[in-house]
Amino acid sequence: MRHLILGSGIAGLQAARAIRSAQPEAAITMLGREPDPLYARPMISHLLEGSVQPSQLELGLPPEVRLISQDEAVAVDAADKTVATQQGRKLAYDRLLIATGADPRGIGAQNTDLENIHFMRTKVQVRDMLEALPGSRRALVLGGGLVGFKAAYGFLRQGLEVTMLIRSEYPLSQQVDPITGGLVRAKLQENGLDVLVGRDVARFEEDGSGRVRGAELTDGTVLDCDVAVVGKGVLPVTGFLQGSGVDVDLGVLVDEEMRTSARDVFAAGDVAEHFDLARDERWVNAIWPEAADQGRIAGLNMTGVPARYPGSLSRNTIRIFDLDLTTCGLVNPPADSGYEILREEDPGRGTYRRLVFLGDRLVGAACVNRIEHAGVLRSLIGSRTPVPCPREDLLRESVHPGGLFPFSR
Amino acid sequence: MDQKRFSQRTITEDGRLMLAKSERDGVETVWDRLEAQQPHCGYCELGLSCRNCSMGPCRIDPFGEGPQQGVCGADSDIIVARNLGRMIASGAASHSDHGRDLVEVLEAVADGSAPGYTIADEAKLRRVAAEYGVEAEGREAGAVARDLARAMQEDYGTRLSRLGLLSRAPEPRRALWDRLGITPRGIDRETSEMMHRTHMGVDNDWQNLLLQALRNALSDGWGGSMIATEVSDILFGTPQPVASRVNLGVLKEDQVNIAVHGHNPIVSETIMRACRDEALLRKARDRGASGINLVGLCCTGNELLMRHGVPMAGNHLMTELALVTGAMEMMLVDYQCIMPSLGQVASCYHTQMISTSDKAKFPGMEHQEFHSDNAADLAQRLVERAVDNFGRRNPDKVSIPSQPVDLVGGFSVESVLQALGGSLDPLLEALKSGKIRGAAGVVGCNNPKIRHDLGHTALTSRLIENDVLVLDTGCAAVANAKHGLEQAEAAERAGPGLKEVCSSLGIPPVLHFGSCVDNVRILVLAAELAKALGQDISALPLAGAAPEWYSEKAVSIGAYCVASGIDTVLGPTPPVTGSMNVTGLLTGGLEDLLGARFAVEPDPEEAAKWMLSRIEGKRKGLGLDGR
Amino acid sequence: MRQVVVRPERCVGCMQCMAACAAAHSQSGALAAAIREYPLPGPRVHVGSGRYGEGFPNRCRHCDPAPCMTACLPGAIYRDGNWDTVLIDPSRCINCASCAMACPFGVIRYHRDPWVSPGRAVAVKCDNCLHRRAKGLIPACAEVCKSGALTFQEPDRAMKRRTDEISRRTSGYVDQERSGEEAPGFMLLRQLKKRSGQLAESGRGPR
Repeated sequence: MRHLILGSGIAGLQAARAIRSAQPEAAITMLGREPDPLYARPMISHLLEGSVQPSQLELGLPPEVRLISQDEAVAVDAADKTVATQQGRKLAYDRLLIATGADPRGIGAQNTDLENIHFMRTKVQVRDMLEALPGSRRALVLGGGLVGFKAAYGFLRQGLEVTMLIRSEYPLSQQVDPITGGLVRAKLQENGLDVLVGRDVARFEEDGSGRVRGAELTDGTVLDCDVAVVGKGVLPVTGFLQGSGVDVDLGVLVDEEMRTSARDVFAAGDVAEHFDLARDERWVNAIWPEAADQGRIAGLNMTGVPARYPGSLSRNTIRIFDLDLTTCGLVNPPADSGYEILREEDPGRGTYRRLVFLGDRLVGAACVNRIEHAGVLRSLIGSRTPVPCPREDLLRESVHPGGLFPFSR
Repeated sequence: MDQKRFSQRTITEDGRLMLAKSERDGVETVWDRLEAQQPHCGYCELGLSCRNCSMGPCRIDPFGEGPQQGVCGADSDIIVARNLGRMIASGAASHSDHGRDLVEVLEAVADGSAPGYTIADEAKLRRVAAEYGVEAEGREAGAVARDLARAMQEDYGTRLSRLGLLSRAPEPRRALWDRLGITPRGIDRETSEMMHRTHMGVDNDWQNLLLQALRNALSDGWGGSMIATEVSDILFGTPQPVASRVNLGVLKEDQVNIAVHGHNPIVSETIMRACRDEALLRKARDRGASGINLVGLCCTGNELLMRHGVPMAGNHLMTELALVTGAMEMMLVDYQCIMPSLGQVASCYHTQMISTSDKAKFPGMEHQEFHSDNAADLAQRLVERAVDNFGRRNPDKVSIPSQPVDLVGGFSVESVLQALGGSLDPLLEALKSGKIRGAAGVVGCNNPKIRHDLGHTALTSRLIENDVLVLDTGCAAVANAKHGLEQAEAAERAGPGLKEVCSSLGIPPVLHFGSCVDNVRILVLAAELAKALGQDISALPLAGAAPEWYSEKAVSIGAYCVASGIDTVLGPTPPVTGSMNVTGLLTGGLEDLLGARFAVEPDPEEAAKWMLSRIEGKRKGLGLDGR
Repeated sequence: MRQVVVRPERCVGCMQCMAACAAAHSQSGALAAAIREYPLPGPRVHVGSGRYGEGFPNRCRHCDPAPCMTACLPGAIYRDGNWDTVLIDPSRCINCASCAMACPFGVIRYHRDPWVSPGRAVAVKCDNCLHRRAKGLIPACAEVCKSGALTFQEPDRAMKRRTDEISRRTSGYVDQERSGEEAPGFMLLRQLKKRSGQLAESGRGPR
């Protein structure tokens, strides 16, 4: 049996591990764009902070996996069971996994090709950012989402002055409610971050040697900067699937065994579009732990070991300075749509908890500090079962798992 | 936190409002700490842990698989009985030591070394002296007081075979105590012997231990507590019906607010006099306050309310919340039930916290020791400082919730007799005719494990609806007063018979009988009723309840009530269920011995049913009509 | 292989397992000295409280597959197959708390730990007391638990006992109430606590 895995992220790696554990003799080939060995992508922000060494990111491949790096698929022929690559390779497979991940979204500003304007998606990009640091004093971060946010935190930790431009009223508006966003913003500002709301970059300015030296904003303001990061979200990498017979919506559509519409073709990770357990609809949750799970499930099914994927949940754990934040599921539901919210803020202890319910189910949770039981809430959201205790109990810092899992070992 | 959770903590409006404010102000309260303590240790809740010696500490596995004996060999029955005995010893010691302090003041008054104090009720002095066999006829009050004080001090010692005031108990009860070997011989002696017997290797017969525990409790009820009440009356006056008001609404925004908290009237009485001092009132007006407003908390508040109508700010669980009003210039504490958290709560506001007793110091409080020779002066100086502190109040932090509720307090055996025209006959007639089915004592503390004031008020409401006259004391009395049950108008909430009797006498259906040592007033009244009927107390249609008890003192009270023949139902569970033998004896077997027993029932509605059925049963036993 | 088996219904909430666990993972290994150490040792078993104050000994289940392991970014969480134990390598842990979101039981804590990482905070959880096992001792929590809530035994035997208990109850041979006979005082106390809790929750007033 020949397994071909497109992509060398965590979904591909977990698939390779699952395949290898079930089929010690199968041939596994992995095709990756990046020059580096496999690494834990979310840790690149720690690399920027300077809290880890590059080697700490490295992930080991299971035995006997052929890794082709610095190449990527340009076309899939599902009938012929072959994949054509940019470097002109033609790879045949019995089972194919599409785990090509996602690419950062671009922006409409002028002069984005100047030196020291970065996306933060790969180890190489962060290495470039780190190289730009020694001469830099001021950083500009576009976007108040997770990436923007982690970039800002990294720069602050590296001692730069950081300005963050966000379009919505508060950072992480896609992930959290205004109160949580306000707490995060206050924590960042307390540590030197400047946040500008409702503005965007119109054009970057050059310093004369091809490097960025400032940005003119949509309101005409001009800001100095020595380095800039664009964090405006990601989009699944699906372009090469045109005409392949693999159905694509925003991401590659998959069923609960991670099968695509094409025979013997599977998809997993940030490229895959499955079902969101909290939103109750098809959704791409481009996050690492779901990618890992999907990869493992896909890998097992590729070998014929049946495994089901229940669906995904958006979630994040963020630690900035002394503030911990976890979010999971649907924290910001549309107003007047039947969702009920419970919250509790304890300024004395610096804690905040917000719970979102739909009917008798918990569908979203955000916790600020005292996050040790966030996983219990996540598991409750993921279970899609009625909350087995009075709702108010879930506001307590320490959720009593005994009531939730009465007969667990 | 949402309103629902505040209202799960207390039924009171002022409590809910202050809980919300405490959260806004970042003040931690007793309820938060209860939550933080969860789960409580089951061994301790069951009474199955023993720290009495250093071969241990030990615990017994309630499931029977683990250890069933401590290192010494004590089983669950012995360990539970020993622990209960020590609780009662502590409770009896607390009441009795409180009584001793009063006896010492009485002696100092006699010696002329207590300038702030006098004999307020000389007639009572002479009456009690006669009971002690002290010659009173034709002698000066001071000389009588000196002899009485010394006679009472003998009660504390070991030179007697029985306590002096036991003569108040009906003869059959005294004979029963003698038969059981539980006649208390000396107040300190019984506590001391209880501690001795629970030492490793002394008394290891759980029934024998429990008998001593009962004797120890009786040394409190018919000894230390009774002395405390009687001497308080002699020194400060025997209560007469008096109007007052209750809840945090008694605090005044435009006045200097001073609270006294604790149990002993020795300090609070002198503070009260200083608060009425003209020079200090002038000074208060100079500072922009329209007066000095003294309010009470807990039982020292009850003492002042009973004798002078001083308004009552709240009971045990309201003590932290009284500070959260932000309107308290000073709080003076003596001892018992004073949460060591108070200093910390006060530090969020401008309140000055003063501890006054050499035996009770607290973190975050300034210590100003009161003695009978300096009390008057010191009280004056401290009230002056409270007046000075008025200017430091932060108006932004002030919130005084709700309107106060009216009540009538000041019922005592003497004042009840007076209201009845000098004899118990009208009351006995009402009992016999069935207009009043019986009487119940609703007493005891608050406990955050029970929704604040629910136990007291729900139980009391149900009892009066069923024509049971309620006598209440301590935190229970404050709860019922806040609920409007201690007004004459509350007769409307009583059953038809009780309503008729109360209306004709102009009294409430719930009579505020004072502080927690004043439970002995109920004992004395019960004894008088029994004597009038030629019966033992256990034959009477009486019952007791401590629906929200928390303290070791309450355990002693419950035990002396049952040992005196009054059925008693407890709200929170005492730490005895680790031994079904002990539990069975307390809630069943005791009836054969004492004619009364304990029950445990957290739901006041169910507790009321139990009390009513016991009362009706006793009526039948007396040949009266039963329902 | 013997494992720590949890019987929550037997937990009396004394928290002795927590103290014993912290002491077992201290530098000194003895409680009296452990409480004076810096950093303070923390327990890896956590006694939670139910709605009515029921104790619940919450301990790592050493799941397989373990969600914390999948979620761990630097690959610091691994399974020791010999002992069937999920362990955290403190030298690889970056204290990112990703595992907090993964663990459905909420048993992972983040702190400096005198045992594994005195210098910086890391994720800390139950290690099945492998250091004690190596000396022939059983896990500290099970050793001190005297009420049978934490026992160290073959999982098969525990499963059989559990099956027996459930069949006895469902067969009607011993009904639910009567099964309290093994500890009537404890069951009585629990019922009374539950009733006072429910009374407060019901919002029923004095009328």
